[in-house]
Amino acid sequence: MKRKTISVLLAVSMLAGTIGTTAVNVAAEGTEEVTLTLVEAITSPERTEIIRSICDKFEEAHPGVTVELVSPPSENANTKIAQMLMAEEKIDVLEVRDQTFAQYSNNGWLGTLDEYLEGWEGRDTLSETTKFYMNAYTDETYMVPYGFYEKALYYRQDWFEEAGIEVPETWEELVDAAIALTDPEQNRYGYSFRGGSMGFSYLDYITTSNVGADGLASLIYNVFTGEDSTIYSTQEALDAAELYKKLFEEGSPKDSIAWGFTEMVQGFVGGTTAMLIQDPEVITSCKENMEDGTWGVAPIPKGTSGQGLIPTGFAGWGITSYTEYADLAAELVLFLSEEENNTYFTELNSLIPIHTTAAENSEIFKSESFSGYMEMLQNPDVYPATSIPYNYQAFSELSTQADQWTQNYLMGNISAEELLQTYDDFWLNALNEEGVLWK
Amino acid sequence: MKKMTGRTSKRSRDRRFIFLMLLPAFIFIGIFTYYPLLKGVTMAFQDYNLFNINNTKWVGLDNFRQILTPSAMNNFYQVLYNTLKWVIASLFFQFMIGFALALLLNKPFRGVGLYKGIAFMPYAVSGFVIGIVWRWMYNGTSGVLNDLLMRIGIIDQPIGFLAQTGTALNSVIVANVWYGIPFFTIMIGAALQGVPEDLYEAAKVDGAGVFRRFFSITIPFIKPVLVLTLLLRVIWIFNMPDMIYSMTNGGPAGSSRILTSYMIEYIYSNDYGMGSAFGVIIMIILSIYTLIYLKFTKFENLGDY
Repeated sequence: MKRKTISVLLAVSMLAGTIGTTAVNVAAEGTEEVTLTLVEAITSPERTEIIRSICDKFEEAHPGVTVELVSPPSENANTKIAQMLMAEEKIDVLEVRDQTFAQYSNNGWLGTLDEYLEGWEGRDTLSETTKFYMNAYTDETYMVPYGFYEKALYYRQDWFEEAGIEVPETWEELVDAAIALTDPEQNRYGYSFRGGSMGFSYLDYITTSNVGADGLASLIYNVFTGEDSTIYSTQEALDAAELYKKLFEEGSPKDSIAWGFTEMVQGFVGGTTAMLIQDPEVITSCKENMEDGTWGVAPIPKGTSGQGLIPTGFAGWGITSYTEYADLAAELVLFLSEEENNTYFTELNSLIPIHTTAAENSEIFKSESFSGYMEMLQNPDVYPATSIPYNYQAFSELSTQADQWTQNYLMGNISAEELLQTYDDFWLNALNEEGVLWK
Repeated sequence: MKKMTGRTSKRSRDRRFIFLMLLPAFIFIGIFTYYPLLKGVTMAFQDYNLFNINNTKWVGLDNFRQILTPSAMNNFYQVLYNTLKWVIASLFFQFMIGFALALLLNKPFRGVGLYKGIAFMPYAVSGFVIGIVWRWMYNGTSGVLNDLLMRIGIIDQPIGFLAQTGTALNSVIVANVWYGIPFFTIMIGAALQGVPEDLYEAAKVDGAGVFRRFFSITIPFIKPVLVLTLLLRVIWIFNMPDMIYSMTNGGPAGSSRILTSYMIEYIYSNDYGMGSAFGVIIMIILSIYTLIYLKFTKFENLGDY
């Protein structure tokens, strides 16, 4: 009998052990102390430290508040955070990225920030780009961007001078320059081609730049030309596809068909390629690894439309819909977005800041390496802000499949017409299933 | 009569006691192993997309139909062929080289401990990291492998190992062979320690040669280990997408896709329904393989020598 009692007790206590920890957490929240949980998605030790230091300032200004920073490893952070949100685990403030924004808002995981933004003084100095992306997909505001991953053209100043070639302003000039600078004997190539992970988007850059802003049904849904047509059925798309293949075959290293972000940056920084189209993040690598005067940054090339349309990567801070401390969480979001903190954050992470005043007040953003970026921001007619149809469910499927499609094209397994037909069918099918989402 | 009931009730009390003691284990296995498994299987029959999980619906066999219907851009049978090639080629070379190394290391020589340590090292590193290291070694413009081959004079133009449909999968297999050798060396090496030395001596006295000793003593003695390691290794290689993911991500043009890396592509596009359908297909293939393998190798009778 005694044995039985003990065994039952053991079984019960084992079960209770798992529940016990939750009970303790609930008890702690009942007291005066408040813990805000902030989850970041693009993580690195240096970046976490920067965010931590801003959070420390927030804690100083708000006695009794502790900000707990959660930093899942970058590779699978998106999946991890989605699972946490699904289980309604404690998250108050979180990093929302262009690629996760639609998913979070569709599932009702994000809380609106409009009421908090109303009286916020930082609002007046937000740049046009910031306002554009803040409400690109929804009327309500679910996140305040913290910065932009805008693309620009990095080029080898010394190689261009040596060969006596002007820095290209259009995609056609870029391809010509790339071919002229390619010399496999010296292990020199014109362009850091991206054929691997997410490389397909570069073909889209050329296509949309050829079509131009007026040809698009919506600047935000940059693959549609109307309610029943896509950019892929245009002559401009065919021209773009042929130029793209020429760039790969004659102006880029052969194995760049497998290159992702790291290889293309390494190719440029390591002295193999003459041109690279990338985010301002690359400035840091260039400064560390290349001599001054050997590299420069110019605006992105223009298409046949006379405009350069490359979607800007964006990300920002939002609050969860189920947070217990919505007011305080929103305050932290606005605190992170204040000019002083945002400039500090974007300077150290090498991003385009969200306040117009930052460009005037910061030595870094006024410097030579950012001039190409600033030139684009000052000419929105030539370089209009655009985005990708992120809030079509089809897009996430496309982003894992399209690399294989374009690789098939580049290797000559399918023709340009077949490639464009595949894209066209895919997006028309998405329109059919999900409807017209733009206003 | 009275005695009988006493004994029965004691037995049933024992049984209840055993059951109670096992209950927590059952509950934990149920929650952490079988619930996720069942959930995964049910998801395979749903349109379950993380993009909008408030709107999941039952779609019957649609996911499977989509996978099994070949199209220009998505060919399941090509992926299946790649998977078989990946498993068989990786396993064959891992096993042969691993076995040979185990035999060599079984003889004591100076520095055997150090050598063992070095030989086992790859096994302690994650496959993802190994993949990234090999990807740089294979790099067509700045990779060390191309540099070496060119300096030796074997090639005069760098090869984009991971950039050609013909070489991508083979290159990943080479990396995987390198990664998997230590597993066989460790397991077979341990088994070799258990073969009694006097058997060899007796065989020598009877005039058996090296090959005879190897096939009549060594192999039968370590057969249970060989059968088990081969079984496990096939399942592990089959289920190991991390190197493919980090080296080629299935490319170029889908030429190095295997079933599990293809499954990950779908999971990363938030389509858990399609991902789970792949999971179910993989589970079915591996179950059939295991049954046939165990029957073929007469697993129950192993160890009767």
